[in-house]
Amino acid sequence: MKRNRKLVMAALTLLLLPAAPFLFAGGQQEVEDEKNVIVYNSFLSDPDARVVDEALVEMYQDRNPHVTVVHSIVAHETYKDALPAYLRAENPPDVLTWMAGETMRFYAERDLLLDLTDLWADESWDEDYTEGFRELSSYEGVPYFVPTNYYWWAVYYQKSVFEEHGLEPPETWDEFLEVCETLKANGVTPFTIGTRGRWTAGGWFDILNMRVNGPEFHMSLMDGNESYNDPRVLDVFENYWRPLIDNGYFIDDAAAYSWSEAIPFMTSGEAAMFLMGDFIRDAYPAEYEDDLGFFQFPIIDPNIPVGIDAPTDGFMIPANTRNPELAKDFVAFMGSLEAQEYMAQELGRLGTHSKIDRSILTESQIQGIELVESADVVAQFYGRDTHDEMQDRGYDAFVEFWENTGDAQRILDRLEEDRVRIFQ
Amino acid sequence: MKSQRLVNRSRRKETRTAFAFLLLPVTVYLIWIIGPMLYTFYLSLTEWDMFTSPTFVGLANFRRLAADPVFHRSLLNNLKWMVVFITVPIAAGLSLAMVLNRKVRGSTFFKASFFMPMVLSLVVAGLVWSWLYNPAHGLINTVLRGIGLPQLARGWLANASTVMESIIAVGVWRQVGYVMVFYLAGLQSVNKDLVDASRVDGAGSWKSFRHVVLPQLAPITTVVIVISIIDSLRVFALVAVMTDGGPHNASNVLANYIYLTGFQWYQMGYAAAIAVVLFLLAFVFIVFYLSRIAREEDHA
Repeated sequence: MKRNRKLVMAALTLLLLPAAPFLFAGGQQEVEDEKNVIVYNSFLSDPDARVVDEALVEMYQDRNPHVTVVHSIVAHETYKDALPAYLRAENPPDVLTWMAGETMRFYAERDLLLDLTDLWADESWDEDYTEGFRELSSYEGVPYFVPTNYYWWAVYYQKSVFEEHGLEPPETWDEFLEVCETLKANGVTPFTIGTRGRWTAGGWFDILNMRVNGPEFHMSLMDGNESYNDPRVLDVFENYWRPLIDNGYFIDDAAAYSWSEAIPFMTSGEAAMFLMGDFIRDAYPAEYEDDLGFFQFPIIDPNIPVGIDAPTDGFMIPANTRNPELAKDFVAFMGSLEAQEYMAQELGRLGTHSKIDRSILTESQIQGIELVESADVVAQFYGRDTHDEMQDRGYDAFVEFWENTGDAQRILDRLEEDRVRIFQ
Repeated sequence: MKSQRLVNRSRRKETRTAFAFLLLPVTVYLIWIIGPMLYTFYLSLTEWDMFTSPTFVGLANFRRLAADPVFHRSLLNNLKWMVVFITVPIAAGLSLAMVLNRKVRGSTFFKASFFMPMVLSLVVAGLVWSWLYNPAHGLINTVLRGIGLPQLARGWLANASTVMESIIAVGVWRQVGYVMVFYLAGLQSVNKDLVDASRVDGAGSWKSFRHVVLPQLAPITTVVIVISIIDSLRVFALVAVMTDGGPHNASNVLANYIYLTGFQWYQMGYAAAIAVVLFLLAFVFIVFYLSRIAREEDHA
């Protein structure tokens, strides 16, 4: 009997053991209750970006020794999945990184973000940020977001390969096709791409649709107000995208590679160009970087406005943060001219602050700014401009088209069914 | 009389102890398994984005399932997986067990080698095979080109026509050793006298295997088939690591589709409806199979 009771106790203790960490976690909770702690979660998980992010937190800490910033960096994809949980938590992180535009508005619309009108006024960001950035940060005219950096999409190419074959960056569609044909004839695949992550194909759809049908139509399509089986969309697929794929201007089996696995085809000389965002530099081997140039995607119809993808990242604060004043103070620092200049110098992204000293920027950054400023309309990116599920269906459709270029009509008809359901 | 009461008392005590031991696991089971399961059934009848409270929509989610091509493709892939899993690894695992059960030289080495893949985590196995399948530099295509068969080299994971089979092959590669171990254990309990007797009576090795050994392995076969059905219906990691369901859903499976719907598009109601279908599917197959086995045993 006595032995029995001992056994029961032992069993219970063993079973309860896994709960022990939670008991101790209570202690940590108390620290977080303190007024001088802010929790900052970020998705800057690439090696270079991580270093810069940590350095910025350190700079803020040095200036505010009474504040403790509890900083966690979460891998980009995981972060995206966890964000709803962060925002809805009773004790959420106080500051979160995120993307401007529709993806941010989704949460603002659900009352999950803190109204930052006073912060924008106090920091005189209303003047220091251009109207475009304010609009990207607002939902129904109210700012809920602080944009701090952006980058551009362009055609990246190897200068040495272009030189070898006597090529110049093309400016028109005809010149562009000629460049592709010359490369092909000389045994170089014009474009590398890895569509396993799918969004790289979205970059092609964005730019072709904006060039052929104009950015206004494109944004309207993103908002769910145009049909995917509209003849104008079919025109993009059939008459512009399809010949590029059918002519073999892309590497084979693109769906087998991630975007960064597609880079070696370029450095080995098998392929010459890559339509990509400027973060290509984060993964491009340093010894080849001097040879990497970029140019604006060629103009197809000179009569329509020029659009460009230039995604913007920044910060937001959950509506039920327990420390709104301190959270705003931290975001004020991250959005300051100083922090942005540091980020622009160390990471190569462009700052959103209009007073950034351009003399500190590299030649390529200046070229990037000019590219974005010369555009009539700045889009975010397919996945950021449209509904979350639409994005997923769209990406699948683009990759399916890639494999079955003769099926554009069927693929677009199905995409249209999805659009009607998703935006109903 | 008195002794009877003593026995009763000690039995009652035993029962009480048994309940004390059971209390915690049963509570845990109710809270973490039965509760969420019932809640999933309820959620499948709602629309819920995880931010606002769920709204009841009746069978709308199931109607949408009926017309959703991605769901059909995923379901078909799961069934394909199941058909392969209850045939190939079982036949191969049983054959290996029969061969390695004899005292041949190096049988321990071979047993260990065939079981090795099972020890690897699914994520590692998926990554390693992704490299083997790499169209430009992978081992498989390199070998095919090297032995003069370049026409067989292809983008294994990049084409809708080969991607599902390529992933299932990795699943089979892992499963064979696992099934083999089950049968090796089962073979230990096969009555050797019966086998010898059948040989004396003139049965060939195939006949004695078919009519003497195999019936004795029936309980193992039952377990292996049930495990194979469950394993093939809940596949997730290999697909998530190797293709994430791509290209364009050609290798999508229900578990991955549930994950996408629930945690990337925040459509918990719809995700729950898929989960319910997956649950019913597993339930129907296993109940059908087990009841058939039970009936056969009754007849015997």
